Amino acid sequence: MASSLHDAPSAAVNGTFAADAKSQVHKKPRLYADPSPPLFTPSDILSEFSHHDPAIARINNGSFGSCPSSVISAQNDFRLQWLRQPDDFYFNQLQPKILQSRTIIKDLINADHVDEVSIVDNATTAAAIVLQQIAWGFAEGKFNHGDAAVMLHYAYGAVKKSVEAYVTRAGGQALQRGKQNGRRVRLAVIDHVTSMPTVVIPVKELVTICREEGVDQVFVDAAHGIGCVDIDMKQIGADFYTSNLHKWYFCPPSVAFLYCKRSVNNSDLHHPVVSHEYGNGLAIESAWIGTRDYSAQLVVPKVLEFINRFEGGINGIKKRNHERVVEMGQMLVEAWGTHLGCPPEMCSSMVMVGLPACLGISSDRDALNLRTCLREKFGVEVPIYYRSPKDGEEGGVTGLGMQSINLLTMHSLVLLFPIHKLK
Amino acid sequence: MQHEDPRNGESAHRSSKKPKLSSKFITESDIRDEFSHHHPRVARINNGSFGSCPGSVLTAQRHLQLQFLRQPDAFYFNTLRDGITASRKIIKDFINADHVDEVSLVDNATTAAAIVLQRIGRSFAEGKFQKNDTVLMLHCAFQAVKKSIQAYVTRAGGSVIEVRLPFPVNSEEEIISEFKKSIEEGKSNGRKIRLAIIDHITSMPSLVIPVKELVRICRAEGIEQVFVDAAHAIGSVKVDVKEVGADFYVSNLHKWFFCPPSVAFLYCKKSSSSSDLHHPVVSHEYGNGLPVESAWIGTRDYSSQLVVPAVLEFVNRFEGGIDGIMKRNHDEVVKMGKMLAESWGTNLGSPPEMSAAMIMVGLPSRLCLNSEEDAVTLRSHLRDRYEVEVPIFHQVFKDGEEGVRDKDGFITGYLRMGKRAKCFIRNEEAVMKVRAAFHGINICVLPSSDACGITQFLKNQTKKRKEHRRRKLYASWKPRNGESCCLRGCNEVESLGTYAFLLAIDKAETSNVGIGMALLQMVRIHWSMLDQPKLLKPWLWVKHV
Repeated sequence: MASSLHDAPSAAVNGTFAADAKSQVHKKPRLYADPSPPLFTPSDILSEFSHHDPAIARINNGSFGSCPSSVISAQNDFRLQWLRQPDDFYFNQLQPKILQSRTIIKDLINADHVDEVSIVDNATTAAAIVLQQIAWGFAEGKFNHGDAAVMLHYAYGAVKKSVEAYVTRAGGQALQRGKQNGRRVRLAVIDHVTSMPTVVIPVKELVTICREEGVDQVFVDAAHGIGCVDIDMKQIGADFYTSNLHKWYFCPPSVAFLYCKRSVNNSDLHHPVVSHEYGNGLAIESAWIGTRDYSAQLVVPKVLEFINRFEGGINGIKKRNHERVVEMGQMLVEAWGTHLGCPPEMCSSMVMVGLPACLGISSDRDALNLRTCLREKFGVEVPIYYRSPKDGEEGGVTGLGMQSINLLTMHSLVLLFPIHKLK
Repeated sequence: MQHEDPRNGESAHRSSKKPKLSSKFITESDIRDEFSHHHPRVARINNGSFGSCPGSVLTAQRHLQLQFLRQPDAFYFNTLRDGITASRKIIKDFINADHVDEVSLVDNATTAAAIVLQRIGRSFAEGKFQKNDTVLMLHCAFQAVKKSIQAYVTRAGGSVIEVRLPFPVNSEEEIISEFKKSIEEGKSNGRKIRLAIIDHITSMPSLVIPVKELVRICRAEGIEQVFVDAAHAIGSVKVDVKEVGADFYVSNLHKWFFCPPSVAFLYCKKSSSSSDLHHPVVSHEYGNGLPVESAWIGTRDYSSQLVVPAVLEFVNRFEGGIDGIMKRNHDEVVKMGKMLAESWGTNLGSPPEMSAAMIMVGLPSRLCLNSEEDAVTLRSHLRDRYEVEVPIFHQVFKDGEEGVRDKDGFITGYLRMGKRAKCFIRNEEAVMKVRAAFHGINICVLPSSDACGITQFLKNQTKKRKEHRRRKLYASWKPRNGESCCLRGCNEVESLGTYAFLLAIDKAETSNVGIGMALLQMVRIHWSMLDQPKLLKPWLWVKHV
């Protein structure tokens, strides 16, 4: 086992980055002769993430992402520029740079117009923005009491609370089943990639169904979307789509985009924190919500540069992540005699792996304890999800999130699971 | 405190870098070091907008940011919540709140306004308030607050009353009487005033408002709730929330309290309705109380909320701590404001006791500031051409209102001078720059350690302005009565057409009055030495030897 640990990583490295062997040979001269920057070598990648704790196996990329040090440097440069002369930065630099980031995102997601793209802190904020306008709809009598907002059972905790805060409170109903008793469904909240458990939802089909059923607006919460699955706004066809760039798109914490399709229905969107820009459009409002550090929103160009130094760019990264995480998931499943949470084609860069029943996980608390134990005793960071079993199923499931930097982690996880010892 | 103490690293570093002198207080060169990341040539007189953060606090913040990136999950589970609670406890003690549950940390006063006003909006929407019940605010309230009222109050059917404060103002009584008048108006036609929003220190124009008295009046008049927007207060004036007596009190820590951008506290007096305050960005913590909700609004960088302990340590290195800083800021800014007003023959916007660390100084009417655009243009001009950063306020008069006159006309513009104790020298230079700017003289300040700086600078200037002739002059002025400023003898070094002065100042601690006088002297010499009265944009270098 020990020897396989030592051999396997280099095999994985060589296997994955076969193409990079070429660039390794030509590395220095190519830098000058070739206008496009060279592809990353494995040691480049290690140094870009040298700030990560080397003793921890980070299998939970989905929660907080990972940001390369070249992007962090760029972010620190912006912070220093601000501190050096904040008024000048505010008047002359901030807005154009945010616009630049928005333009890049617009192209990445195939939106029609940059006005449709606003940058916010995170998907949680985006949810508040979308739900707030629903609340006004009820408050101002546009909607009838009892009209509904529909969301997935596995919707993210914050989104559920946001629906409670804005919709239920204003007189709407939050439903997990469709329309009943002649109520209209004003909003459907669909996850693109659910969080816990993690599954890729066929959003395009669901949006179509919503349209057919006469749902007013569709909001896709794709917190894990960009960098994890393919996203094309025009293809998906939702009214609102949000995704965090700091999860799978290498941005520092935190930055997300909220796409709002231009239409009559949604001209009334506002950021809940109101500044003097109120009324100038959501994108402009979101670009100034009082004095704060906006540097994370300014590094998107730098991130794009970073991504394009991987073979195949973001698509190459997504593909390799997916393949590797499925491979690793299947290896664990075999070793433990459990099963995957869903078929590989419904996994993105994350996969759910059933935990052995002998671990005896029978509550959320158990799951959290196991997670803490793994972190503190074994140096493994991985989210554990508990689902109450239905008829003979196991209780505990773990979600593994694989980002392209995690070469050693899965091997460590297999090693560390002499299961009987954990009991 | 469970979180790793970021101060350990930096204080060890500092003591190895500089041996502590006999005084245990921070020295001037320490201060210069702490703010060495500021643009060296720009005179930052606008501390009020964006504040300034010392290098040691920035280091502590970076340390925390790296800690998060290193192992974010561990940081989230083990460090973040405790770190925020520690900051909240420090603030609670500072502002004399009863309980740490009354203190929430948010990004800025803008966010706090949204929190308070969203609740008012909900009360209108849910029928708790009647349509046309009123919210009262000051005419010069911050623009974001006004928009927030529009977004949450007006939209929900409430109405708004604006208290028009007199400006320039001569006494607190003037403000109090206007306030009382507006309350009467607000209650007319059977309306109820549901919320009064009072600034503790207004932004533009900047005045210290007698909040304690105004809150007392609000209670006497039956106004349900009072929200004090004290964005500029902490670090500028004493903050005692029990004394002020408001229901809500917010202040930004990144303006005058040395925190990095951005962090503010929102104090909410415990009451039966406290549980109905919510952060507009809803996370899974919804319903657990505003402080807990605000401590997690999704994945973001919370590091600026965690450095309050490091900031307190910084502040306590000054003699007298924050009180000492506040007093010195106030004294200096009043002195400088008076110097400018005297030299221009204009006025101050308020008496000294109604200013804290900022003061409004009337601009000469000759500048002909007739609109907001003019003010913006002047500000940009000062920034780009003279490297002076100072906000300019344009005063709009109602019909029949008359402003203050100087010898040439009505004063329509004021600059807002903000004083930061950290940079004694820099701010005096800043004042000189402003004054000189209006005399058509450019001042360039060279770092004191730069012995060759002047020569090099002149060489660069020569390259740039080959076609001009330039003359350098030193002027001498004998100090009186303990003034430590001393200027050197006069020598014509080069003649390149554009007149220039080199002012050599003997010692580092030079009083601003001394420099001001020296400058006046220089200007007089300059005028007298010109063959033609027309100015050819002369340069003035100030070098500290």
